[in-house]
Amino acid sequence: MTGATKEKFVIPIGPQHPALKEPAHFEFSVDGETVTSASVRFGYVHRGLEKGAESRNWAQAMYLLERICGICSHAHSTAYALGVEKLAKVPAPPRAQAIRQVLLELERIHSHMLWVGVAAHEAGFETLFMYSWRDRETVMDILESFTGNRVNYSANVLGGVKYDLGEAQAGAIRQGLDYLEERLHYYMKIVTSDESFLRRTRGVGTMTAAQAEELGAIGPTARASGVARDLRVDAPYLLYEQFPVTIVLGTTGDLQTRFVVRIQELFESVRMIRNLIAHLPEGELTARFPRRIPEGETISRIEAPRGGLFYFIKSDGGENPARVKVRTPSLRNFMSVLVGSVGHQLADVPMILSGIDPCFSCNDRMTVVRRGRDGAISEGKDPLPRSRS
Amino acid sequence: MSMELETLLKLLVFPGGLTLIALGLLYEYIDRKLVARFQNRVGPRLIQPLADLVKLLAKEEVVPAGVIPLFFVSLPILALAGGLTAALYIPLAGIAPSFSLPGDLIIVIFLLGLLTMAVGLAGANTADRFSILGATRTLTQLFSYEAPFLLALLCPAILADSWQISVVHDSLIGQIWFAALPLWIGFPVAIIGLMGKLEMAPFDAPEAESEIVAGALTEYSGRGLALFRLAKDVELVVGLTLVSAFYLGGLANPLEFLLKTLGLLVVVAALQALFARLRIDQTVGLWWRIGALLALLQLVIVVILKGVIL
Repeated sequence: MTGATKEKFVIPIGPQHPALKEPAHFEFSVDGETVTSASVRFGYVHRGLEKGAESRNWAQAMYLLERICGICSHAHSTAYALGVEKLAKVPAPPRAQAIRQVLLELERIHSHMLWVGVAAHEAGFETLFMYSWRDRETVMDILESFTGNRVNYSANVLGGVKYDLGEAQAGAIRQGLDYLEERLHYYMKIVTSDESFLRRTRGVGTMTAAQAEELGAIGPTARASGVARDLRVDAPYLLYEQFPVTIVLGTTGDLQTRFVVRIQELFESVRMIRNLIAHLPEGELTARFPRRIPEGETISRIEAPRGGLFYFIKSDGGENPARVKVRTPSLRNFMSVLVGSVGHQLADVPMILSGIDPCFSCNDRMTVVRRGRDGAISEGKDPLPRSRS
Repeated sequence: MSMELETLLKLLVFPGGLTLIALGLLYEYIDRKLVARFQNRVGPRLIQPLADLVKLLAKEEVVPAGVIPLFFVSLPILALAGGLTAALYIPLAGIAPSFSLPGDLIIVIFLLGLLTMAVGLAGANTADRFSILGATRTLTQLFSYEAPFLLALLCPAILADSWQISVVHDSLIGQIWFAALPLWIGFPVAIIGLMGKLEMAPFDAPEAESEIVAGALTEYSGRGLALFRLAKDVELVVGLTLVSAFYLGGLANPLEFLLKTLGLLVVVAALQALFARLRIDQTVGLWWRIGALLALLQLVIVVILKGVIL
């Protein structure tokens, strides 16, 4: 390596790499095993969903937007539905709102458990990965028996929900939650006491509260650093005012705290779901909803499993949305990876990366095409750029 | 003529060659199945390791740009040859070694080290960044476990007053409990050393897929990859035989061989399922802070005991 020692040794992670299940391109410069700088590039899976929504009517657009994320699909359709209902001034009936909220919390359980497995896998702890995903099947089964689908439940319609939560369903949910809660206690024990796991998580990727504020982190990632930011509390929607959640806060902001915070949030979700199905409001499932939405614009925000999900919806009085803008929570957390991985070992990078529970495809709102080797950014004049890399 | 035929049989059928390869594949299957069951997975079928091998052998071997082709092709063969040759000096299947000479313990340890060296060189030979990092880690790991592993295997040899595997082995048969007392310190060192050698979890940092894809072997496909994997299987059998011959009171017959090596394999599989992957710096730290000290402690005890009792 003589002569090349001054040169940067760059480890590319992505867009195809076993650590990433979705395409994004990270470049980590390393000195030996220590990361000295990091950069990121997105845009590999820009699907034009915002534009697509404009050419569909209000109801069709919801099913399209539900497919932005395969994990938190219900969060997307709920955020959209709440926004459109606000524009149309036709709120969903209380029972529908409660059912939406039950689904949101079930989805949070499924998302966080998925993350526990993925993060364990990045740490090379396959056993925890397999166990947590086996137990995650419990909540997947609940969702399937409730809505017919494991993901993309299509439970929302504008002005309400499709599926009622009957006594049989409630029983199945309660039973599943009892099992899950027991298992969650077990996982909590593992992530706080397993020595080999703690060696990989304690003090890794630490982000202080000040850094989290500065980098704009949200969701469990920010809460693990002690930033009390949760839309369910800050700007309650659905029935979160009647059935409040307690914000789970960490202090140290390292990976281990993120495990603890996410698992504790699951206990909150379990409590919330039990509470909701015990006090389910009576009444209709849907409200009559107009085809055309009055002119206007609105912002709809809900707390998705990864953090605050943002929707901007504009209507020009027609049958189609005039503009839908989506900002998914992962986008706000990526900076913490770039800053947090510097100075760490390369071996910790996949864990730091997965520590924010990234969802790459969901956050691609645009694509940047670079030409050839000079990397100049295409100005969009050429409809078929020579290089699509 | 008959001497030559006998030698040829020893090389190609038993204990080298076919038997060893078949045993290697069987042990790989048992290892994978056990780890899978510990992790609540179904695991592979009995035929799977063989199927993998045949599939890889049948595939095209891509020689990437920027490598020295001679090295690229010959290193996997060297690795497998090392493992197969080592088998000639160990009491495989409880039957006396085919060849035996004073000091063959050192030869076997060197031959087992060939696999790691070959993997390291293979990684350094390619221009791929993951391979180079993997090779660095492989060689770093080699430097951390090799000395404690060697020391751990040396203690029974010192007790037996010989560095000839067959002599050490014969002296241990039947008197396990007398000899075992000080050896329990070195036993874990030997097992974990073997796991480090084979880059099994949690010592799989050199091939950590979530970080550096497949480490040093990232660029290997087809025959080269098949041979490296086979070499690893062979080394698993040779390593298990060596450790159980030295630490579990010898292998008097094939049944004892199966019981002891498989018992050891269960322990190894359980250890693989128990832990999160160690970072390479943690691996090195573990070996030099704990492994080497334990092995040295045992060495001192053994030397003193020998001086006092004998």
